[in-house]
Amino acid sequence: MNNVNLNDDQQDCLQEIINVAMGQASDQLARYLDTFVYLKVPSIEQVSSQHLSDTLKSEAQSVAVVSQGFFGYEGIRGEALLMYQPKDSDRLADLLGYEPDELSVEEQIIDLSSILTTTFLNVFASQIDNQMSYSAPRLLFSSNADNNTSSQSSISEHIQHNAFNWEVALKVKISYQVTDYSFNCDMILLIPESAIINITSVIDRILEDY
Amino acid sequence: MSLSVLICDDSNMARKQVLRILPESLSENVQLATNGVEALEILNNQAIDMLFLDLTMPVVDGIGVLQGIKEAGITVKVFVISADIQPEMQNKVLELGAKAFLRKPVQLDVLNSHLKEHGII
Repeated sequence: MNNVNLNDDQQDCLQEIINVAMGQASDQLARYLDTFVYLKVPSIEQVSSQHLSDTLKSEAQSVAVVSQGFFGYEGIRGEALLMYQPKDSDRLADLLGYEPDELSVEEQIIDLSSILTTTFLNVFASQIDNQMSYSAPRLLFSSNADNNTSSQSSISEHIQHNAFNWEVALKVKISYQVTDYSFNCDMILLIPESAIINITSVIDRILEDY
Repeated sequence: MSLSVLICDDSNMARKQVLRILPESLSENVQLATNGVEALEILNNQAIDMLFLDLTMPVVDGIGVLQGIKEAGITVKVFVISADIQPEMQNKVLELGAKAFLRKPVQLDVLNSHLKEHGII
């Protein structure tokens, strides 16, 4: 297996860049939902494509999973998986301020996913002197839409179909908790090793100043 | 006599970010802590004049540190430096006794302006 090989300083710098982006994304989310978003320290770990399904198992109790690809300059790219675990999914429309029949739950989840992904990644990109474009968000699984499929099998199928074109990636997990609504969302970024090499060179330039 | 300063952040880079922009009068007597437990231990055992405090940290977070300071009746000027910029969070830290909220990454002119406002420089 290849290795992403971030040293302690590079990992610390990446984590701090992610912290700043996460903070701004949560602020956007809090304003959009008119509530408070509780943040945890994000986790960063290396995963192999071979074992990705296993590593996502713990996150796979979701009621909905949305995928959105992102692409920047200099080969920086990856995929965001938004995994929703609302204890009370019926309250999503209430949370988003929609009338009951205005949009389907699936459309609401896609809307929210796009806001979270693009806000986070736009701030992330600006800190590494880059700019992102995005593919359309795609609902991989919803318990409302398909009661016969588990989120785990949907994700596994998605991974197999896309093949991801990487062996090793960094998995960044960010948890957004909206306690007022018992609403939880995990944003998982998968950044392949080729993109990490480019991000690392930017991180090294930042670290030169310290 | 120089003021004693404590910088508490789980990120080495963030601690260095604060260190490099501290005015000379504050950079002679600086201690570092990587989480809330370490910070509270220092604060409970030494007289610290100023604390630069992150919020999102493992073990004990910044809110836990502010609560610990309040409960123990420790006198220290706290400047929160955080990426969690939600208005509710900013209000919460000020209610818990912080002098100011500064957003990450903190800039020299912003820090100086807050330090002047509180008569520190």
